[in-house]
This record gives sequence, C-alpha cells and structure tokens, in this order.
Amino acid sequence: MRLLLNVNGMEHELDVRPTARLIDVLRLQLGLTGVKEGCSEGECGACTVIVDDKAVDSCLVLAVQARGKKVLTVEGLADDDGLDLLQRMFIEHGAVQCGFCTPGMLMSAKALLMADPHPTEEAIRLALAGNLCRCTGYTTIVAAVRSASEQPAESSSTPPALDGAGRDV
Amino acid sequence: MTQDLQYVGQTYPVHDAPQKVTGELVYGSDIELHGMLYAKLLLSPIAHGMVTSIDSRAAEALPGVVKVFSHLNSPADVYCRARLTPEQTLCPRDETLFSEHVRFVGDRVAAVVATSQAIAEAAVALIDVQFSELPALFTPEEAQRRDDLPIHPGGNVFFEYDEECGRPGESTDAVVVGSTTSTPRIHHAALEPHVCVAQPHSTGGLTIWSISQGVYGVRTVVADLLGLEYHHVRVIKAPMGGSFGGKTEFILEPVTAYMAQKTRRPIKLLLDREECMRATMVRPATVSTIRTTCSPEGQLENMEVASVLDAGAYASSTSDYAVHMCKKITKLYRFPYYHHRSQAVYTNTPVAGAMRGWGAPEIVAALEIHMDRVAGELGMDPVELRLLNLMHPFEVDPVTEMSLGDARVRECLERGAAAFDWSARRQRSPGSGRYRRGVGVACGAHKNGMFGKFAEASNMTLKMNEDGTFELGASLHEVGCGIVTVMKVIIAEVLGVSPDLIAAGEADTSSTPFDYGTFGSRVTYVVGACAKATAEKLKEEIIAAAADLLHEPRERLTVEGGEVHVRDDGRRGVAFKDIARLSHMRHSPAITAAVTYYATSNPASYSVQFAEVEVDCATGLTAVTDFLAVGDVGQAINRGMVHAQFQGAVQMGIGYALYEHVDVDEFGRSGVDGFKNYHIVNAPDMPDIKVLLIEHSGDDGPFGAKSVGEIATVPTAPAVINAVNHALGTSLSDLPATPEKILAALNPGEVEA
Repeated sequence: MRLLLNVNGMEHELDVRPTARLIDVLRLQLGLTGVKEGCSEGECGACTVIVDDKAVDSCLVLAVQARGKKVLTVEGLADDDGLDLLQRMFIEHGAVQCGFCTPGMLMSAKALLMADPHPTEEAIRLALAGNLCRCTGYTTIVAAVRSASEQPAESSSTPPALDGAGRDV
Repeated sequence: MTQDLQYVGQTYPVHDAPQKVTGELVYGSDIELHGMLYAKLLLSPIAHGMVTSIDSRAAEALPGVVKVFSHLNSPADVYCRARLTPEQTLCPRDETLFSEHVRFVGDRVAAVVATSQAIAEAAVALIDVQFSELPALFTPEEAQRRDDLPIHPGGNVFFEYDEECGRPGESTDAVVVGSTTSTPRIHHAALEPHVCVAQPHSTGGLTIWSISQGVYGVRTVVADLLGLEYHHVRVIKAPMGGSFGGKTEFILEPVTAYMAQKTRRPIKLLLDREECMRATMVRPATVSTIRTTCSPEGQLENMEVASVLDAGAYASSTSDYAVHMCKKITKLYRFPYYHHRSQAVYTNTPVAGAMRGWGAPEIVAALEIHMDRVAGELGMDPVELRLLNLMHPFEVDPVTEMSLGDARVRECLERGAAAFDWSARRQRSPGSGRYRRGVGVACGAHKNGMFGKFAEASNMTLKMNEDGTFELGASLHEVGCGIVTVMKVIIAEVLGVSPDLIAAGEADTSSTPFDYGTFGSRVTYVVGACAKATAEKLKEEIIAAAADLLHEPRERLTVEGGEVHVRDDGRRGVAFKDIARLSHMRHSPAITAAVTYYATSNPASYSVQFAEVEVDCATGLTAVTDFLAVGDVGQAINRGMVHAQFQGAVQMGIGYALYEHVDVDEFGRSGVDGFKNYHIVNAPDMPDIKVLLIEHSGDDGPFGAKSVGEIATVPTAPAVINAVNHALGTSLSDLPATPEKILAALNPGEVEA
C-alpha cells in the first residue's frame, strides 16, 4: 500500500505492506540503520524514535500508524550547524560505550526535553526507564541529559568543558 | 609513583562516539551486501534426543528459498567454538554445525537460506522434524549420578581439576566454618543480538564480518572446519553492540561461513532476541562449597573448596573456566593450606561459556559470602577479618607462583572503608520494621592477561604519515569500553602529540598483525604495553630522521610538543610534519615501527566494593541505595571510561546478586525468551555508583595501568548479598536473592506490620 511518511523533515512516498512495522520501513526501506533492533518487543528501547513529539518503540507500531505524522530518528537530530546538544553531551560525558542503546536513549531524552526542558533527575531516569543499557550503569547517560537540560538553548553551539565521565569521592 | 603525564589519565570519548550518536556507524547487524541471502535457524524444541527425520520439501518449495541445511547435508566434523589457536588445550571438540543428536532446547537442527528474512522465517516453520527423545539431565547432580546416560561420549563429568598448595595446619583451637554458595546461569544480554555475515569468493576463500572479540580465533575455527587455507579466510571485526564475553566464542561464524561457501552467496545470519537468550551462551551456574579453619583471632589456616560448574550441552570454554576458578582465592588471602577441586559437567541445558570475569565472579561470590560467615562466627567486623588476611604488595601467589605485583587490595579496603564510613554504617541497627537497611563489603581479584599460560604477546605497526599524522596497525577489538581510544592515548603520551593525530582501527586478519583479541583482561596491560613499546620505537625512528635533517647526533635531540629539538638550543628544531615531509624523499620513504611485545608478568588487579541495601520485608524486594567501588587499577588511561566501566560492571553485578537467572523447567525449556522475563537493572533502579581509584602504577602495564573491565564486576554480587544478610540477619548464599528467596529466609512472624 502507498504511504506518505514524513521522516526527519523529508516527505517519502513509500510502497509498504500493511503489516510492516515502522522499524522495518525505517531501516530497510529508508536505510535509517541508526534505528536499532535489540528485542523486537518494546522492552529494550533501542528502536525508539519520536513520532509527533512522543517517544515510541518503532518495533511496536505499524508504519501506517505514522501516516500524516512527523517521525524523527537519530539521523535527524543533527542539522547543518552540527550535532544536537544532547548528542554532544553524550559524547562529552562518556555516555557512549558500545553505542547500541545510544540512538534510543537520545530519542527518549529528546522527547523528554521537548516536553520538559528542565526535568528533575528522577524525571530523567523515569524517561529512560524503557531504554536498557548494559554498559554504563546509566550514570554518564543521566549526567549527559542533565547537562543538556541545564544549558540555555542559544548557547548550544559552545561545547562545555569536559567534566569527566565519572567522579571520585 | 607520581608521573608527569599529559594525555594519560584524562577523559576521552570512545573513538567512534560521533558515529554512534548520529546513527552513522554500521554495526554487524546493519551490514547489507549486494545479492545477500538471509538465514534463519531451526532450533531444537526438545532437551535431548535424536533427529529421526527432516522433511524440508515444503520449505524448499517456497519461492525465495535457496537451500535448507541440516546434518543431512553438512559435515559431521566436530569442533570447539572457543578455540583461539590451533594447538590450544582444554578445548574439547564436541559440537557440529547441525546436530543429529540434539542436547538442549535451542540446539541447531537446521537452517533455511532465502532471499529475504521474512521468507527464511516462513520457510523454517514449514520444516517437519521428528525426534526420538532421550532422557534429559538438567542439573550437574543428576548428570553426575546418571553417568549411564552420557550426553557426549566419555561421560558427563568431562573435566576435573585439582589445585593444592601448602600444608594443612593442625591447630587444636581452630574454628571451622563451612558454607555453600550457588551462583546462577545468567545471560550476557548485550543489546545487539548475535549476527554474522559471510561472503564467499570465486578464489575459494571467504570474507567474514564478525562481531567477535578475536578475529584470528574465528579464522582458526572456520578455516580448520571448512578445510580452507588460512590466507583464504579473511575475518573483519565489525562494530558490535556489546559482548561481555557473549561474543568471545564463535557461535555463528562456522555455520554462516559454511552456508555461504555452499550457496556461493553472501549470507547474513542475525538472531532475534529469543534465539539469543536460548541458543547462544550463558555464564555457567556454579556451586562452591568452602570449608575453612582459622584461629579464634581470625587468621585463616586451611581452606578446602569444591566447585561444580554446569557446562550445559557443549564444553566450549568451561574446562578452562574450571581451572581459573581455582586461581583467584590465593590472589586475595594468605593462608598456609589451599585445596580446590573443580569439575565441569555436561547437562541438557543452554551452553555455558565465557563471561566477564571468567570464573572470578563465581568463586569470589562464594569466597566473600563465606568470609562474612567466618566474621559472623568469630564476632568480628568483616573489614577487620579481611585486613587480617589480605595479601600485601609483591607477595607471591602460591598457586601461580608468580608475583602479585603492586597489589593494593589492602589500600582499596582501608580507603574504601573510610570513604564509605563503613564502621559507623555497619554498627547502625538495620531496624526491625518493614524496611531494613544493611551494608556489605566484598573484595575481588583478577589477572592481567595470559602470561604464565601462553606466550602472551601482541604485535603492532605504527607509521608517521607524510603530514605528521600517525596510523596504528593493530588487531584491536572494540567491545565498547574504548580500547581504540586507550591505544591512541598511550601512543599520544609517548610521542607528545594529541590523540586526535593518531588513527587506529579494528582488526582484519588480512591487514592487521596477529593478536589474540579483547579478553582475559589483557588489552590494557599487554596490548597497551605493546602500543607504548611501538610508539617508543617510532619515536627513535623520528629522532633518527631528524638527526639526518638537522645534522646533529641523535643523543643531542629531544622530542617535545610535536617537534624534535636540539637539546640546549631551543631555536633549532624540526616539527614532526616537516620531518615526515622532508625525510620522505631524503631519509626514508616511510617512518615506521613494528614491534612484538612479550608480557613477562601477570600481576593481580583488585576491586573492593561497598553496598548499602534496603530490603522490603513485606515484598522481599531489595533496593541498592548506595554503592562505592574501589579499584586498584595501577593508572587510569582514560579516566572517565574507567569510572564508567566500574559503574556498568556494578550494574551487571547487582543483576547477578538480585535479579538475573536463566532457569529451565522440567522439559529443559528456559523461562527466559527476552527482556520481558530477564530483568536488567534500568535507570530508575540504579543508585549513583561512586568510584575511587587507587593508582600506584607499580607494574609493567603502560604507565603502570592494569586491567579494569573484568575485575570491576568481580566483587559486586557478594557485596550486595552481604549487605542483604546484614540487613536481615540471614545467611543467604543462593544467588540471585530474589524476593521469593528473601521471604522464605525471613521468619514472617518477625516482621512488624
């Protein structure tokens, strides 16, 4: 069936099976392999994308459910001016290790900051509750999101100094 | 030892972090090749039996199906998927590409290769397999008892090891303490499922994209099995989404390579999460019984240990694992007599094998829960008891007869206890209401590479480009903890240039020199030392080229800030980029160094960890409320990543202590088929992990660095269990301490409403 899909600001006219999952259309038809598949049942969050301002597991929704909506994947976070603030904070806080959870983490964090630009730490942790990471223990990831939330949007082009990914006691 | 370091010890992102945050990095599971076919496995639904018939006609008739594979059309040759090198011992060959004799739920029976993943999946469902069932054995005890039902020829107890040193003491007033600890079968649960891509060539060779931790081992296993010459098998390390040992063994590579060779088409075999959980690998379940005698003052005298490992259906690396369980305790404590027997036993359960720590988390859990039992018997503080018995720097491990090196476990414990405010918190009452708090401590030891067992070495080349940048040639296997960055930082420190000027990539058997891979806690200590030695040799080459250009003897030259200067004459010097450019035609077309570095020591790495827990006596749920991990790491190379390694390792260890287990039912079927029934600690449940590094840099690693990634998870689980036992006054030693076990251990009448 024919599907018009707006992904990362671009309109795509696609021929999709009615049963096609959003993740398959994004990965296989549009080549957006930044959308990762870790569990196929909405438990790990690696496939998280933003559909109309909400973080969703793209393995749990059909592509047709995104008809007429705006889909944002990790590939759409950076723009011509460079990386998104969250992406830079993830790099600078050492929040990226194997990186397989990173795209999903970024999209959940992005959806959170779109809804609540200055969340509490608890709100950050809850927003990431559906994104599993086996490498980091989440400390650096939470620190990266917090750091992004603490910066005024206009200064986003100036990277802050490194503060170390962990801390000594 | 205080070192004047410019780059080592700072914080850097992993080398490919920019590609990871943009989604640009092509992981193994993202690889697509022109004309690629997709494979889907048919896994055994029964735990033990013989395949009596396979009818694949309906599957073969499905449009898009290229071929169906099973034992009927594949070699019956046996291999060991954990083999690294042709002459390696302790690698029983007991596995075939496809099983006629299936030995666990998840054994490979058949595979369909088709033009799309969907067709392959549909076709697998059309294959009719008939089995004749055999009695199945699900625990080592059953398997030991029923040696009349051998799972493999040769019997179910396929490996036994005995380690004994010293002489038994015979104190008359000695206190005797015994304990038995069970550790669970757990899954690595790396976020990226297992995958392999293989492409055949008309030369008869193959290229394999492997997300393994050692490409040369993949080549050994695949080439030997398929009868190919090694130079015809090219194995490329593809970016991977986590491993933790789960991709150390070559689970998918042999079967993918074989199917690609036979179909003469590139093939991708990508498991789904359920297949990963059922059919790849688990940490072996273990039971260890420890009996110690000690003086009434707490001095350990004799320790007798018996460990049984559940190897599951195939041996893979469990024999070596059983050996290494006997090589940890004497790195921690000093006592006159040690006797440790270990056994590895086949059962009809998921295959056990390599996982982070290689036997150390298992035996250290048993040891450190036992030490708290001893402290309890003697009425001693657990920290005091440990301090009385812990090893000192440069003592000799009586088992390996090698120096422990600059072993700082005592300092870890002392400084950690102070930072955690141990004494005050331990003396605080756990309370008697619904919620009870307790604190626990555990010490752990691990190693630094394989010296003492293999010729432990690494090989590298390093060259200076014509513009003064550098390229490293090394078989690196990034698993996510930043080893590529570590090598760049080490080289940067030696050469005095920014790590950004150094390019380093991952392993490719056709172009990078031999290295075993990323495991055995060998990367920083051995591979990193090789990087340092290679950079030092290149530095000499640069000085030699500069000497030619400056018409000065080498002895008068010194390197600083990306330049070679004439000593005592600050005005005369030449920048690296000019040396590279000018010498390219005048001195030598290539300024390069190639080094084989041999390790000559294998000191211990230590971690001591402190946990605070709150147990809900009504539900049995345990929350870890505070945690301190102290690491004797020698010298942090990438400081932030060392901290993050500890934080992630503690997360894994908390899961080992409280949540994670892969149990099988009476049919041998695991209750775990995904993350919905396998609980990985998530962000809201993780406490803030504090990390304290002890850095004495007194060993042979680069700038004194020692291993981190494995030791970091070794003492976590017993620290948590000891805290639970402190909170509840229990003596739990059956991991994980699930709510059911906690409630069973509590006397319900004791709980106030």
